[in-house]
Amino acid sequence: MKVSADVPWAEATVPIERATLGLVTTGGVHLRSEAAFDMSDPRGDPSHRVLPADASPADLAITHDSYDKRAALRDINVVYPLERLRELVAAGRLGGLTERHVGLMGHVEDPLLPGLTGTTAPEVARLMRDQRADIVLLVPA
Amino acid sequence: MTLSIQREITEAVRPPRALYLRWPFGRPLGEAGHRNQQLHVLLAALELFASVREPGTIVAPEWPWRRTRFSDPLIEGSGPPHA
Repeated sequence: MKVSADVPWAEATVPIERATLGLVTTGGVHLRSEAAFDMSDPRGDPSHRVLPADASPADLAITHDSYDKRAALRDINVVYPLERLRELVAAGRLGGLTERHVGLMGHVEDPLLPGLTGTTAPEVARLMRDQRADIVLLVPA
Repeated sequence: MTLSIQREITEAVRPPRALYLRWPFGRPLGEAGHRNQQLHVLLAALELFASVREPGTIVAPEWPWRRTRFSDPLIEGSGPPHA
Protein backbone atom coordinates (compact mmCIF):
# COMPACT_ATOMS: atom_id res chain seq x y z
CA MET A 1 0.00 0.00 0.00
CA LYS A 2 1.41 3.31 -1.06
CA VAL A 3 1.22 6.06 1.52
CA SER A 4 1.46 9.56 0.23
CA ALA A 5 2.65 12.31 2.49
CA ASP A 6 -0.66 12.70 4.22
CA VAL A 7 -3.25 10.55 2.43
CA PRO A 8 -3.58 6.79 2.96
CA TRP A 9 -3.82 5.10 -0.40
CA ALA A 10 -4.44 1.66 -1.85
CA GLU A 11 -4.53 1.02 -5.57
CA ALA A 12 -7.71 -0.28 -7.12
CA THR A 13 -6.52 -3.72 -8.19
CA VAL A 14 -9.82 -5.48 -8.88
CA PRO A 15 -12.29 -4.42 -11.58
CA ILE A 16 -15.47 -3.03 -10.05
CA GLU A 17 -17.49 -5.82 -11.63
CA ARG A 18 -15.53 -8.29 -9.51
CA ALA A 19 -14.93 -6.14 -6.43
CA THR A 20 -16.39 -6.75 -2.97
CA LEU A 21 -17.68 -3.66 -1.20
CA GLY A 22 -18.15 -2.97 2.50
CA LEU A 23 -20.42 -0.14 3.58
CA VAL A 24 -19.88 2.22 6.50
CA THR A 25 -22.44 4.85 7.41
CA THR A 26 -22.12 7.60 10.00
CA GLY A 27 -25.87 8.15 9.95
CA GLY A 28 -26.51 6.40 13.24
CA VAL A 29 -27.87 3.18 11.72
CA HIS A 30 -28.10 0.10 13.96
CA LEU A 31 -30.15 -3.05 14.38
CA ARG A 32 -33.42 -2.44 16.21
CA SER A 33 -32.58 -5.43 18.37
CA GLU A 34 -29.33 -3.89 19.59
CA ALA A 35 -28.49 -0.93 21.80
CA ALA A 36 -29.01 2.46 20.25
CA PHE A 37 -26.22 5.02 20.13
CA ASP A 38 -26.00 7.03 23.31
CA MET A 39 -27.71 10.36 22.82
CA SER A 40 -27.53 11.31 26.49
CA ASP A 41 -23.91 12.43 26.16
CA PRO A 42 -23.72 15.75 24.26
CA ARG A 43 -20.19 14.85 23.16
CA GLY A 44 -21.53 11.95 21.14
CA ASP A 45 -20.89 8.21 20.97
CA PRO A 46 -17.73 6.83 19.34
CA SER A 47 -18.87 3.20 19.25
CA HIS A 48 -19.87 1.24 16.18
CA ARG A 49 -22.50 -1.34 15.32
CA VAL A 50 -22.10 -4.28 12.99
CA LEU A 51 -24.87 -4.49 10.41
CA PRO A 52 -25.51 -7.92 8.87
CA ALA A 53 -25.81 -7.74 5.11
CA ASP A 54 -29.11 -9.65 5.23
CA ALA A 55 -30.79 -7.13 7.54
CA SER A 56 -33.91 -5.65 5.98
CA PRO A 57 -34.86 -1.99 6.40
CA ALA A 58 -37.44 -3.10 8.96
CA ASP A 59 -34.63 -4.58 11.07
CA LEU A 60 -32.81 -1.25 11.22
CA ALA A 61 -33.22 1.92 13.22
CA ILE A 62 -31.55 5.32 13.21
CA THR A 63 -30.33 7.04 16.36
CA HIS A 64 -28.67 10.39 15.66
CA ASP A 65 -29.68 13.86 16.81
CA SER A 66 -27.33 15.95 14.69
CA TYR A 67 -28.87 15.83 11.25
CA ASP A 68 -32.28 16.02 9.64
CA LYS A 69 -33.30 12.35 9.63
CA ARG A 70 -36.67 12.73 7.93
CA ALA A 71 -35.50 11.53 4.52
CA ALA A 72 -33.47 8.67 6.01
CA LEU A 73 -36.41 7.52 8.17
CA ARG A 74 -38.60 7.36 5.06
CA ASP A 75 -35.91 5.60 3.02
CA ILE A 76 -32.83 4.29 4.80
CA ASN A 77 -30.99 4.07 1.47
CA VAL A 78 -30.48 7.82 1.78
CA VAL A 79 -27.74 7.16 4.38
CA TYR A 80 -27.33 3.39 4.14
CA PRO A 81 -27.80 2.39 0.49
CA LEU A 82 -27.62 -1.37 0.93
CA GLU A 83 -30.68 -2.11 -1.19
CA ARG A 84 -29.28 -0.01 -4.03
CA LEU A 85 -25.91 -1.76 -3.74
CA ARG A 86 -27.66 -5.13 -3.93
CA GLU A 87 -29.26 -3.96 -7.17
CA LEU A 88 -25.86 -3.08 -8.57
CA VAL A 89 -24.56 -6.52 -7.66
CA ALA A 90 -27.59 -8.18 -9.25
CA ALA A 91 -27.03 -6.12 -12.40
CA GLY A 92 -23.39 -7.17 -12.56
CA ARG A 93 -22.13 -3.64 -12.00
CA LEU A 94 -20.46 -4.57 -8.70
CA GLY A 95 -18.92 -7.91 -7.75
CA GLY A 96 -20.40 -8.38 -4.31
CA LEU A 97 -20.90 -7.12 -0.78
CA THR A 98 -19.27 -8.08 2.48
CA GLU A 99 -21.42 -10.03 4.93
CA ARG A 100 -21.14 -7.37 7.59
CA HIS A 101 -21.29 -3.61 7.29
CA VAL A 102 -20.88 -0.87 9.88
CA GLY A 103 -22.97 1.86 11.44
CA LEU A 104 -21.44 4.80 13.27
CA MET A 105 -22.98 7.87 14.83
CA GLY A 106 -21.06 10.73 13.25
CA HIS A 107 -21.24 13.29 16.05
CA VAL A 108 -18.17 12.77 18.24
CA GLU A 109 -16.26 15.46 20.13
CA ASP A 110 -13.31 15.55 22.49
CA PRO A 111 -12.61 13.89 24.82
CA LEU A 112 -14.35 11.01 23.01
CA LEU A 113 -12.43 11.43 19.74
CA PRO A 114 -9.53 9.15 20.77
CA GLY A 115 -12.10 6.38 21.26
CA LEU A 116 -13.22 6.89 17.68
CA THR A 117 -9.79 7.14 16.09
CA GLY A 118 -7.88 4.82 18.38
CA THR A 119 -10.40 2.03 19.01
CA THR A 120 -13.41 2.13 16.71
CA ALA A 121 -11.66 3.04 13.45
CA PRO A 122 -9.04 0.24 13.73
CA GLU A 123 -11.77 -2.27 14.62
CA VAL A 124 -13.80 -1.24 11.59
CA ALA A 125 -10.72 -1.43 9.37
CA ARG A 126 -9.94 -4.92 10.70
CA LEU A 127 -13.52 -6.03 10.08
CA MET A 128 -13.36 -4.89 6.48
CA ARG A 129 -9.91 -6.33 5.94
CA ASP A 130 -10.90 -9.70 7.43
CA GLN A 131 -13.86 -9.82 5.04
CA ARG A 132 -11.49 -9.06 2.14
CA ALA A 133 -13.31 -5.94 1.09
CA ASP A 134 -11.80 -4.46 -2.07
CA ILE A 135 -13.69 -1.22 -1.57
CA VAL A 136 -15.01 0.44 1.58
CA LEU A 137 -17.61 3.13 0.95
CA LEU A 138 -18.11 5.68 3.72
CA VAL A 139 -21.46 7.46 3.66
CA PRO A 140 -21.81 10.58 5.82
CA ALA A 141 -25.06 12.01 7.03
CA MET B 1 -13.68 6.03 -0.57
CA THR B 2 -16.18 8.48 0.80
CA LEU B 3 -19.19 10.47 -0.21
CA SER B 4 -19.08 14.05 0.98
CA ILE B 5 -21.62 16.78 1.57
CA GLN B 6 -19.23 19.16 3.34
CA ARG B 7 -16.37 20.00 1.03
CA GLU B 8 -14.35 22.01 3.54
CA ILE B 9 -14.27 19.12 5.97
CA THR B 10 -13.33 16.66 3.23
CA GLU B 11 -10.51 18.92 2.10
CA ALA B 12 -9.20 19.08 5.65
CA VAL B 13 -9.50 15.34 6.34
CA ARG B 14 -8.09 14.26 2.94
CA PRO B 15 -9.65 10.83 2.41
CA PRO B 16 -8.13 8.79 -0.43
CA ARG B 17 -11.03 9.49 -2.81
CA ALA B 18 -14.20 11.53 -2.36
CA LEU B 19 -17.35 12.25 -4.34
CA TYR B 20 -18.67 15.62 -3.25
CA LEU B 21 -22.34 16.44 -3.69
CA ARG B 22 -23.60 19.91 -2.87
CA TRP B 23 -26.81 18.54 -1.41
CA PRO B 24 -28.57 19.11 1.92
CA PHE B 25 -27.35 17.47 5.10
CA GLY B 26 -29.02 14.18 5.74
CA ARG B 27 -29.34 13.38 2.04
CA PRO B 28 -25.95 12.13 0.81
CA LEU B 29 -27.56 9.67 -1.61
CA GLY B 30 -30.29 12.09 -2.58
CA GLU B 31 -34.02 12.11 -1.96
CA ALA B 32 -36.01 9.45 -0.19
CA GLY B 33 -37.41 6.95 -2.66
CA HIS B 34 -35.45 8.35 -5.59
CA ARG B 35 -33.92 5.08 -6.73
CA ASN B 36 -32.36 6.41 -9.94
CA GLN B 37 -30.61 9.23 -8.13
CA GLN B 38 -29.25 6.91 -5.48
CA LEU B 39 -27.96 4.47 -8.10
CA HIS B 40 -26.24 7.24 -10.03
CA VAL B 41 -24.44 8.40 -6.90
CA LEU B 42 -23.19 4.91 -6.19
CA LEU B 43 -22.09 4.32 -9.77
CA ALA B 44 -20.26 7.64 -9.81
CA ALA B 45 -18.49 6.65 -6.58
CA LEU B 46 -17.48 3.30 -8.03
CA GLU B 47 -16.24 4.95 -11.21
CA LEU B 48 -14.23 7.36 -9.11
CA PHE B 49 -12.71 4.50 -7.15
CA ALA B 50 -11.66 2.73 -10.32
CA SER B 51 -10.30 5.70 -12.21
CA VAL B 52 -8.65 8.09 -9.77
CA ARG B 53 -4.88 7.77 -9.38
CA GLU B 54 -4.08 10.84 -7.33
CA PRO B 55 -4.54 10.44 -3.56
CA GLY B 56 -6.89 12.98 -2.06
CA THR B 57 -8.88 13.60 -5.24
CA ILE B 58 -12.35 15.10 -4.77
CA VAL B 59 -14.75 14.81 -7.70
CA ALA B 60 -17.84 17.03 -7.72
CA PRO B 61 -20.46 16.19 -10.35
CA GLU B 62 -22.66 19.07 -11.45
CA TRP B 63 -25.96 17.74 -10.18
CA PRO B 64 -27.96 20.64 -8.73
CA TRP B 65 -30.31 19.57 -5.97
CA ARG B 66 -33.83 18.92 -7.26
CA ARG B 67 -32.92 20.34 -10.67
CA THR B 68 -31.18 17.26 -12.05
CA ARG B 69 -32.96 14.51 -13.94
CA PHE B 70 -31.74 10.99 -13.23
CA SER B 71 -32.71 8.19 -15.58
CA ASP B 72 -32.45 4.51 -14.66
CA PRO B 73 -28.73 3.78 -15.04
CA LEU B 74 -29.34 0.04 -15.22
CA ILE B 75 -31.26 0.39 -18.48
CA GLU B 76 -28.98 0.27 -21.49
CA GLY B 77 -28.88 3.51 -23.40
CA SER B 78 -30.15 5.67 -20.57
CA GLY B 79 -28.41 8.99 -20.58
CA PRO B 80 -26.31 10.68 -17.92
CA PRO B 81 -27.87 12.93 -15.29
CA HIS B 82 -28.66 16.40 -16.58
CA ALA B 83 -30.10 19.61 -15.20
